[in-house]
Amino acid sequence: MSSVTQQRPLELILARNLLTALSTPAFLVDEGGVLVFYNEAAGALLGKRYEELGTVGPEEWGSIFGPFDDEGDPLPYDELPLVIAVRNGHPAHADFEIRSTDGTRHTVEVSAFPILTAHGSQGAIAVFWPSGSQNGAAC
Amino acid sequence: MRAKLWGTRGSIPSPGPETIRYGGNTSCVGVTLSDGSLLALDAGTGIRNLGNALPDEPTRLHILLTHLHLDHIQGLVFFAPAFRPQTEIVIWGPASPEASLRDRIARYISAPLSPVEVRELPCDVSFRHCPETEWEIGPARIRSASVTHRGPTLGYRIDDGDSSLAYIPDHEPALGADLEALDEGWISGFELARDASLLIHDGQYSDAEYPEHLGWGHSALSHTLAFAKRTRAERTVLFHHDPLHSDERLDRLGEEGRERWAAIGGHEGAIELGVEGGEYELPVRAPSAAAPA
Repeated sequence: MSSVTQQRPLELILARNLLTALSTPAFLVDEGGVLVFYNEAAGALLGKRYEELGTVGPEEWGSIFGPFDDEGDPLPYDELPLVIAVRNGHPAHADFEIRSTDGTRHTVEVSAFPILTAHGSQGAIAVFWPSGSQNGAAC
Repeated sequence: MRAKLWGTRGSIPSPGPETIRYGGNTSCVGVTLSDGSLLALDAGTGIRNLGNALPDEPTRLHILLTHLHLDHIQGLVFFAPAFRPQTEIVIWGPASPEASLRDRIARYISAPLSPVEVRELPCDVSFRHCPETEWEIGPARIRSASVTHRGPTLGYRIDDGDSSLAYIPDHEPALGADLEALDEGWISGFELARDASLLIHDGQYSDAEYPEHLGWGHSALSHTLAFAKRTRAERTVLFHHDPLHSDERLDRLGEEGRERWAAIGGHEGAIELGVEGGEYELPVRAPSAAAPA
């Protein structure tokens, strides 16, 4: 017998398949806001492939990559577009900085939208549009 | 639990001398549970012969529809028990935000496509959206899950005693996905087929045909083999044959499937092509440990 794994909803499976084929950095969270996938383009931006990082919750994610506001302060979790999309079920957009593993800060525009199904919210997708990079340690 | 294939063809009925051995009727599998309860998996043209084989006496049966493409519902208006007042039929199917299951089926069972309307059927018929959670029919536990196909589409798993039947006739799990590398939870339909005694699965295309049908919602041979391997189904039946595939063509596809299955360590006899009229007594334990590790 094999170990029991969590069967992902079809909508998340299809979303992951789509994200895999995109050259735009994109992220996928489940209905609980847990990051369950990001694509190769996002991995290049962050400096770490998803396969290396694995599934992480929002707190761990924030401690590694941010995001941060213009002053370098961490953004409140509740204000993140992905969180708004998952919790409130409507799209959200924001500009902020994230920090890659080598310390480079990237300014990005982020658009997130919920994955709504007949069974309710199954998660959300966020697409990152990089608009600038800056070397140096993040605050 | 027993299963009988009443229609193995996909897309459109394809009767004729070139399809006489594998059959030309579209998707329908009759399942008799351990207490004698009767299920029909899909209602393609194969359900007509299933209905003709039933005795003319009070009957209660459940029809589990994977989706509402015509090749899976076309037999409904030619299903003899539906025209008997003493018959009770419960039709299960996928929910849709657009309309109820009854209303969507009624688009077919209504003028000008049909000479009768749903409300005119003499039988006691009811329509139910498949629940998100497992439910029971007689001694069996039934589970459904959305799977990769075009439009709202379900696969089913039926557990009865120590036997299990997974039915996923229209399925493209490899669309944008690497079935060999993905974690199990990210494979469409995985939990339905996991360690099933018998897996009846889409096997519509050869690998050479698939690129021209990418995204059409069906599997190539290599996808079905990979899915069977990953899910460790004990025995797999390739189903939903392409209407352009003659008996000779299917013979070659079956031979290729068996060779490739053996090449990846699968046990002999664990992969076969569905044949109209084929019957299975579950659990089908031979050969043991049929799927390669």
